[in-house]
Amino acid sequence: MMRRLLAGAFAIASAAPLAAQGVLVAPTAVYIDHVRRSSTITLYNPNPDPAEVTISTAFGYPITDSLGHITLRTVAQPDSTLPSAAAWIQAFPRRMTIAPLERQTVRLLATPPAGLKDGEYWGRLIISAKGGKLAVTGMQDTSAVQVALTMIVNTNIGMAYRKGPVTTGVTLSQLAARIVRDSLVVSSHLDRQGNAAFVGMVHGVLVDSTGAVKAEFQGPIGVYYTMDPRYATAVGPLPAGRYRLRFALTTDREDLDPRVVLKAAGARDSVDVRIP
Amino acid sequence: MSRARLAVCALLTLAATARRASAQFNNASIGSTAEVVTVGMTITTLRNLNFGSVPKGVATTVLPTAAGAGEWQVDGNKNAFATITFTLPTILNNIQAAPGSTMPITFSATSAIWNRSTNNPAAGTVFNPNVGTTGRFGPPGTPTLYVWIGGTVNPAANVKPGIYQGTIIVTLIY
Repeated sequence: MMRRLLAGAFAIASAAPLAAQGVLVAPTAVYIDHVRRSSTITLYNPNPDPAEVTISTAFGYPITDSLGHITLRTVAQPDSTLPSAAAWIQAFPRRMTIAPLERQTVRLLATPPAGLKDGEYWGRLIISAKGGKLAVTGMQDTSAVQVALTMIVNTNIGMAYRKGPVTTGVTLSQLAARIVRDSLVVSSHLDRQGNAAFVGMVHGVLVDSTGAVKAEFQGPIGVYYTMDPRYATAVGPLPAGRYRLRFALTTDREDLDPRVVLKAAGARDSVDVRIP
Repeated sequence: MSRARLAVCALLTLAATARRASAQFNNASIGSTAEVVTVGMTITTLRNLNFGSVPKGVATTVLPTAAGAGEWQVDGNKNAFATITFTLPTILNNIQAAPGSTMPITFSATSAIWNRSTNNPAAGTVFNPNVGTTGRFGPPGTPTLYVWIGGTVNPAANVKPGIYQGTIIVTLIY
């Protein structure tokens, strides 16, 4: 009886929420200029326990899958046809322990190969923080079987290295919109222009015949080659009639330093949406 | 105020500080552009996946909606999309018994949930953690998304007693 009570007490104790574990990463995208060849990111540990952090680089860029969801294409060994900077951008330090409520600046240093052509080169920065430690002591019932898993969190952000003149733009085609149950579903095809990724915002507005807004959505987007994104947003019940979807891509990004966001004309289009 | 909200407040302070520091660095360099911190992202582990005490010879499942489910809170950029992927264990090791004492663990197509803005798995979207999914941060005011994960362990009838542990790696791609 006592064993069961103790085992139960342990189970309750170990199921209790742990002190939050995590590290703040800022900014969420890193841009390095060929003249300066360095940049920094800031890590901050807002929690009461030390955070063990490791940093690595990889090559990858956003794409859309068959459902139109944005995902990341990673290439373990990028060949010369891919504009990878992963092999020649390094983080210092790469391993660290950040004390509670402390911050750590991580410097990124680029050593590009000689003769690097003008253009934009990409990589991914992976910041890995170890989660909370499990309470492995205090198990009183030696015949019990206890199971628990620890967590490691990875933050994977983009980084870009720019050499010489870089330009960007995007073309928009195959815009389509329809109502599916209670949602507005919008799809399109995007082609990047220029020699750098198009980093901006997408904004869609559904209006009725009087111009009244019936639904709206927006979000950040990065077009590195091509994309076929699909957006679904709740619209609720709409009366039968003719509506219009206005869809636009701009280079307005509130979350990034305006000086690193390449300005471009963007793209816009509109399409009819009929509800029978 | 939650710890995540405190982190966001800290971020705002950090942003201002980083802007100044960056500008100072820029003054010492030649013709370069400064990096300015405007928005950060925090992934916080709120809870480990915990099966507690499990019976021998019987599969035990923790649903992603259960109190023992693992949970993360991600604070980031309003309305932004983020890809969520996992590296999942297939075997757990007994950290007390001799090496080789293991227990299989599996994750089904409904073992994970994500929810936008709201810390409530019951109202979230189910997804397969073996595949991953694309989540979305909440609107201005609550630019947060939550992720939960459950799983199933299958202890053999003759499994050795002790504490079995493994590691789940969650990756947020922004």
